Amino acid sequence: MTIENVLLVSAILFAIGAYGVFSRRSLIVVIMSLELMFNAVVIAAVGFSRFTPAAALLSSDPLTAEAIRSALTGHVFAIFVIAVAAGGAALAFALVFAMYRARESVEITDASEMKN
Amino acid sequence: MMEVSTLTTVAFWAASAVAIGFALVVVTQRDVFRAAIALAGSFLSVGILYFILSADFVGVVQILVYVGAISVLMAFAVMFIQDVAGGSRPVQGRAVGAAVAVLILAALVFTAFNTNWSTMDEITDPFAVAALTESYVETGSGDYIEVLTQAHFVEPPIVRNQGVFVDSTSAIGVLLVREYMLAFEIIGLLLVAALIGGLLLMRNPESATGFEEGDASV
Repeated sequence: MTIENVLLVSAILFAIGAYGVFSRRSLIVVIMSLELMFNAVVIAAVGFSRFTPAAALLSSDPLTAEAIRSALTGHVFAIFVIAVAAGGAALAFALVFAMYRARESVEITDASEMKN
Repeated sequence: MMEVSTLTTVAFWAASAVAIGFALVVVTQRDVFRAAIALAGSFLSVGILYFILSADFVGVVQILVYVGAISVLMAFAVMFIQDVAGGSRPVQGRAVGAAVAVLILAALVFTAFNTNWSTMDEITDPFAVAALTESYVETGSGDYIEVLTQAHFVEPPIVRNQGVFVDSTSAIGVLLVREYMLAFEIIGLLLVAALIGGLLLMRNPESATGFEEGDASV
């Protein structure tokens, strides 16, 4: 288990999500694939936090509590990504419901016009 | 430092394989409800991956937010929209999509394996090593805590803390309200905006109240 292995898993999940976004007709499955891609990004952030040192820990300055906490910046980044993804998912499903009410369909090929 | 045991490596690859398998089910399954269940399984496996990567707080957040909330939201969406019978048909020309996905994968894997990533072994400060693995020692108290850098420099009170990766929750809490205070506040604003935007999009424009007549939820 090295940073390369973690990035490999992250890249595979990201590519699967990208394939889902490009190849599925149902808007719900497209949103699911987007969430898979968000997850892949968070795996990469957590992996970097675990396997690569924070810059403040490599400097020759006296070690401070701030420098030690900076090793967890990747985790904070992961939490921000999760929060944004959760807000985005809620908004995306509201859009899906609005489209379903307007067109009785949730297929992206039926959503080619901006006006209803 | 930070040796990875064989058991951890096996658990890592097992969780990764389960996550990738469920993800493949999500993008290939025609039945949207089964895709939603597989997505929940993939989220759970990714949460286990976070625990293996010493990110306990992120793992808990993943299970609470993704497995607990977003999966349920997806399942509700699938059940509300009666269009599931037709299934999720693939679009025409998905070979192009597959080709683009393989290109993305190739680029990411090439970058991951051809970059000289810095490693934790480059950390030489013994107190930094102790902070990341088992424990570190703080002296003094208040806003700015100076960590002991020399063993003979001992002043009371000495606080012995667990390492950052052993118990990350308290350190993440401090990071959120100090270094990343502004981003933390903006995330709150963003979530409120998403909530209001969702309510606006769900409004029924024909109804006087904005919602369905006789809707008990109003």
